[in-house]
Amino acid sequence: MKTVADLTCLTRRCFAVVAIAALTASALPAAAQETVKIGLIASLSGPSAKSGEAITRGLMLAIDEINQAGGLLGMPVELIRRDDENNPGKGLTAARELVQREGVAVLFGGLQTPVSLALVPYMNQSQVPFMGPWAAGTPITKNGADPNYIFRVSAVDEMVDIALVERAVAVHGAKNPGMMLINNPWGESNEKGLTAALEAKGMPTAGIERIEANDIDVVPQLTRLKEAGADTIFMVANVGPSAQVMKSLERMGWDVPVVSHWGPAGGRFSELAGPRAADVEMIQTFTFSGNDSPKAAATLDALMAMFPEITGPADVTPAVGIANAYDAMHLTALAITNAGSLDGPAIREGYYAIDTYEGLIKTYQTPFTPDDQDALGPEDYVFTRFIDGEIIPIE
Amino acid sequence: MTPLENPSLRMRAARIIAHPATALAGIAAFTAGTIALALTADGYLVFVLALFALNVVVGVGLNVLLGLAGQISFGHVGFFAIGAYTTAIAVQNGLDYWLAFLLAGAISALAGGLLAMPALRVTGPYLAMMTIAFAFIVEHAAIELRHITGGHNGLMGFPAPEFMGRAFFVPELAILSSLLAGASLVAYFQLARGRWGMAMRAVADSEVAAQSVGLNPFAIKTVAFMVSACLTGLAGALFTPLQGFISPGTFPFFQSILFLLAVIVGGTGRLFGPVIGCLIVVLLPELLSGLAEYRLLIFGGIMLGVLLLAPKGIVGGLLSLLSAEEPRPARATGRDPRDLVRADGAAPAGLTVSGLGIAFGGVQAVRDVGFTAAPSQVTSVIGPNGAGKTTVLNMISGFYKPDNGSIALGDDLAGHAAWRMARAGIARTYQTTQLFDHLSVRDNVLTAMGAGRLGWLPGVPPGAAQVALAEDLLAFVGYTGPVARRAGDLPHVDKRLVEIARALATRPDVLLLDEPAAGLMSGDKIALGRLIRRIADVGLSVILVEHDMSMIMEISDKVIVLDAGAEIMTGTPTEVQTSDAVRRAYLGSGNYVGRPRATSPGHAARAEVLSTRHLTAGYGAAAALDRVDVTVKGGEMVAILGANGAGKSTLMRALSGLHRPVSGAILLEAKPVQEMDAHRIAAAGLALVPEGRQVFPMMSVRDNILMGGYLRRDLDAEAEIDTLLHRFPRLRDRIDAPAGVLSGGEQQMLAIARGLIARPHILLLDEPSLGLAPAIITELYDVLADLRDEGVTILLVDQMAALALAIADRGYVLENGRVVQAGEADELRRDASIEQAYLGGGVAAE
Amino acid sequence: MIASTLISGLALGSMYGLMALGFHVTYAVSKTVNFSQGSSMMFGAVMGYTFSVTLGWPLIFAVIAALACCAVLGLAVERFLVRPFARRGSDAWLMATVAGGIVLDNVILFTFGKEPRSFSSPLAENAVDVFGVGAYPLQLIIPVVGLGIALGLALVTAHTRLGKAMLAAVQRPETARLMGVDTQAVIAAAFAISAVFAGIAGLLIAPLFSVSAGMGVVFGLKAFAAAIIGGIQSAWGVMLAGLIYGCVEAVTTAYIGSSYTQIVSFSAVILVLVTMPNGIFGRAEINKV
Repeated sequence: MKTVADLTCLTRRCFAVVAIAALTASALPAAAQETVKIGLIASLSGPSAKSGEAITRGLMLAIDEINQAGGLLGMPVELIRRDDENNPGKGLTAARELVQREGVAVLFGGLQTPVSLALVPYMNQSQVPFMGPWAAGTPITKNGADPNYIFRVSAVDEMVDIALVERAVAVHGAKNPGMMLINNPWGESNEKGLTAALEAKGMPTAGIERIEANDIDVVPQLTRLKEAGADTIFMVANVGPSAQVMKSLERMGWDVPVVSHWGPAGGRFSELAGPRAADVEMIQTFTFSGNDSPKAAATLDALMAMFPEITGPADVTPAVGIANAYDAMHLTALAITNAGSLDGPAIREGYYAIDTYEGLIKTYQTPFTPDDQDALGPEDYVFTRFIDGEIIPIE
Repeated sequence: MTPLENPSLRMRAARIIAHPATALAGIAAFTAGTIALALTADGYLVFVLALFALNVVVGVGLNVLLGLAGQISFGHVGFFAIGAYTTAIAVQNGLDYWLAFLLAGAISALAGGLLAMPALRVTGPYLAMMTIAFAFIVEHAAIELRHITGGHNGLMGFPAPEFMGRAFFVPELAILSSLLAGASLVAYFQLARGRWGMAMRAVADSEVAAQSVGLNPFAIKTVAFMVSACLTGLAGALFTPLQGFISPGTFPFFQSILFLLAVIVGGTGRLFGPVIGCLIVVLLPELLSGLAEYRLLIFGGIMLGVLLLAPKGIVGGLLSLLSAEEPRPARATGRDPRDLVRADGAAPAGLTVSGLGIAFGGVQAVRDVGFTAAPSQVTSVIGPNGAGKTTVLNMISGFYKPDNGSIALGDDLAGHAAWRMARAGIARTYQTTQLFDHLSVRDNVLTAMGAGRLGWLPGVPPGAAQVALAEDLLAFVGYTGPVARRAGDLPHVDKRLVEIARALATRPDVLLLDEPAAGLMSGDKIALGRLIRRIADVGLSVILVEHDMSMIMEISDKVIVLDAGAEIMTGTPTEVQTSDAVRRAYLGSGNYVGRPRATSPGHAARAEVLSTRHLTAGYGAAAALDRVDVTVKGGEMVAILGANGAGKSTLMRALSGLHRPVSGAILLEAKPVQEMDAHRIAAAGLALVPEGRQVFPMMSVRDNILMGGYLRRDLDAEAEIDTLLHRFPRLRDRIDAPAGVLSGGEQQMLAIARGLIARPHILLLDEPSLGLAPAIITELYDVLADLRDEGVTILLVDQMAALALAIADRGYVLENGRVVQAGEADELRRDASIEQAYLGGGVAAE
Repeated sequence: MIASTLISGLALGSMYGLMALGFHVTYAVSKTVNFSQGSSMMFGAVMGYTFSVTLGWPLIFAVIAALACCAVLGLAVERFLVRPFARRGSDAWLMATVAGGIVLDNVILFTFGKEPRSFSSPLAENAVDVFGVGAYPLQLIIPVVGLGIALGLALVTAHTRLGKAMLAAVQRPETARLMGVDTQAVIAAAFAISAVFAGIAGLLIAPLFSVSAGMGVVFGLKAFAAAIIGGIQSAWGVMLAGLIYGCVEAVTTAYIGSSYTQIVSFSAVILVLVTMPNGIFGRAEINKV
């Protein structure tokens, strides 16, 4: 019987001690609210870590500026980060922690569309505003909830997709484009968007092919598109698989225009994709290179001062992550100031009350309304190329 | 003296721990504690608490599989996902949550059963692969079946479960999860101490033995898989409303490893192991949320640390600090042995075997064996090594399917699986005891009761009547040690006795005993002989395979003699003892005229090449060699004689370094080698030609010989092989053939050639004549005589005493691991006591 | 289409085969494997990158040094993660090597960096034309190298002292000790060889893919599947199974769609094991009572 009934006094005591220690440690509410807490949930590890790092930098820079200017509502702003490991479940658990235990005023996050989508119902239910600085999935902001607590300073797939189609037709004279889409919800979101955009123009598609994050060789998929007579390729994938697409194109010797969503911006695309990297025309909301606005120059200087490892525009990839997060943080600060409290519904109203803000990406005029909770639109998109590790706008 | 070292305090603590009330109180405290926390803590903590409780449920489920049934699964996240998706899809289609919850458990259990069917045909890495594949298939099916699973986007927005008008949100779900965790712990507790749990652990310890007490390993492991999957699926069913969102990404393959980690770190097979493990796996990251990125590194480190430092896990490690063994021996009620062994008092049927035959790979191992084992009689099967005795037992007990013949115990049972044979009333023991090592002595016996019929899940613990019966049986067989002792820790003789008690617990009509006396001391052998007789007297048909002739002669009613797979004689012990055919089979052909040495080698003057001083070695607690002193001088040929089980092979293995550790000394060329491993002893100049030749079957004959010269730097391969081929001309034609296709005689020649090319200081030969035809044996022994004449130092073990003594200079006789006689070969040849060692005491007396 | 599918499939397949060969080598001599073979593959690629790109050594030295690192890794795995458990008859080596892989992956993650890096090779820059399909020379070289190594292994085992010692230890471990073979050392050597094979696979695949701390996980699992399908006891069996596995993946991707690749290939694994519990080329291990 010994082996089956094996709870010892000692073990039980240990268990109790550990449990109590664990629970007290976690149950202790963060000491009375002396700071304005801003949460961030993003991929801080794994292949997208670079993007998570960019968002962090943008937020830190903006928060630093805000704190220099005296903080918000008389309190300093504090950033609390959690890693979602690109797992929606992990992201949701982290969101609960940041909202319920840390009591964040606004939650930033969701690098990937799946993680963001998982957070949406929970954030609306807890009535804490959620600010998306990256994930572009259309249904994130257009989620049908009322009131809707989800805001975004980033690209939106359905609008990006319209822009991609316009570009393919206008510049490359595309008549029969094909799609290479990552096999995840982001790919699904763009499949819908691209299909709709093509339908609006009355154009056919040569084929819709999917790629897996770990595919080494996508020649089979590309060959199918080629045989279907594709004249342009729409590419929607993160940096790794995007690089594999370009390598496979190179190997096939197929010189076809590639018009891409902004996935390649997430990492060292020039290095990973090889000689064909520079052929990709990639949509962005912002670049430091070729940007002559004084705000951009000042921000770059500030970044270089804050992060010694940054020595020039090439080190601030992906710039969109920094810029989106930077602007989103300043817009959030305005919303909190407008709200005059850290109450979620009040902050939400505060977002709608923002009038004008001179940001890094552009000057925002009433960026959010209950009908459109996206601050950026097609007019803010620029097409770029990755040249020697730097994202350069196409003239 | 610290409290831990105080035996009486330890005993008291161990008793408290072992008491079922302690476990139930612990479970109640755990459940009440988590519920209390769920009622008082803030929102997020309650959520974490619920996750923790669900992980405990999964951990308990995995513990059933890993801790009880000994099967690993890397696929449990698949069952978790199946439970979660089933619930989500069902409630979204309008099913009541509680029905969906039950459905999730049922479908997961079904999936577990389906996976078990193929998975249990394989073991080890193959099983691991099967479960890995399962986890991936579930994950990708969840992605691709998008019309019902929502694809990558998953499912969200589930109505909150309601009960009696109250909606279940996180706090209610946390309480429910705690209750489920408590319930699963109770279920595990009940399962583990009941018949099913015992059966699962029995199967994990030894499937072979489990079958011979009537347990069907396949069914038991399948049930373990299903129970495990069901609990995991139920946890998944609660996860769905708790998380409010599920997607394929929520159930990554890696989660399976975390589930395993929790069970292993906590303590596999321990009731509270998963609780402690989940505390670490779920709560530790919450404490270290600032170190989120290092989470996996920390987990990996913890897992390695626990595996290396506390192989039994945290709970197991702590418990072993406090464990103490209940010293109480078996209590006998003094019932009539007939009541212990026979349930209904019905006259048992005798066993009739006829025309039994089987061939392995074209070799006829047993042909046309037939006999009747009558009730209340001891029917013995004897014969030299390789005669097919154990093969006959294996066919009768269902481990081998005979090619022809019948095995009738009332009905013809030939070809039935082992567990069916056991249920039909045929019980057995094994040459090497096959106890359930991790079960207590008493549980070993209890497991066998009911001959494999286990009843309903989770099963009840054996009742007082059964426990009393088990102890009566243990007392009956003469086991006097503690009934609570782990069977794996028993001394050899006790293992034999407990194994017999376990066989009797199935209430058999026929009891098969495979060399029960092997390795026993003479006093124990006498007691064993009496026990066997008593078992027969109760009314069982006992079939005994044994090498100890004095025992055979004393207790047998009938003796069947096998040689080379065929029956050569059946008769009374006296008839058998006086039969020339039997004598020849055992002692070797008396007509072989070995070539004695032409001239005296003068070995008295030579130096000792190999000698032992008080060499003692054993398997487990039994000494197989007891203070053996043997000496071989340069150029001598020395024979070691003795019956099977006397310790001859152990001596050869000890000398060559295969058997370690040994105590006493072994001197090779005056250097102590008793602590050296075999490869270093080989380098020191000893070559063993092992029993059964052990040629490398897939290598050519040439490569086999060269392998013998592995350590020689100065090998002139072609010339030396050519010399050897002159000595063994049979090998010349087959030099490039794979050794596996050679005949037994050729393989033996090859094995000797392989030994000689090493140019050893001494050549050891273990049973070279075993299983060879007489003509080949003559040829072989002529070669050995040549070698002797050329001055090779040889130590020879052969069961055929007459053969060995025909060419040896000197000899030692081993009995029960001791040297009982030593002398010149001529003297020994004339000594009748040698025959006694082989054929039992009766011979000398006549 | 067929040509390009086969080129992809054979290149991938020989990677699986090479790593599966690593599983085979250790299983044959010790009935144990390094379950984190994928980590050894990653380690080879990361070390190769470090020596060649970060430290700027000539490629040949970088490759040799990286493989030497793999060999040391293999020895360490055997010594610390397998031997302590195998010695006491426990099969906890399985979990220990899994844990070791997690630790190694994460240590590399924090030292090498979180981002995938490109390890370019002149053999993977300019495509050549094969049957009308573009292919990098490396893709054509990989199967040759894979089969070459399998052949090399066969030659080494047949003709060298170490090889014969391994063969002997595989067939009759105890008798091999009687011949003077230090079987413990042979087992250690097998783990080193196994890790080197994985390292070669990592170095070969890196230019076609990228180098990162997590690159080996999926590869390791698929290679293990190949080893099991082939019958882990048979060297040529696992190599062939690796090639078949790669081709099945490529064909599924090309003709059914890549989203079904894993379902098809892992279902095939189960199907093979159901019908042939010892793998396609494996033999049953006989249990004696």
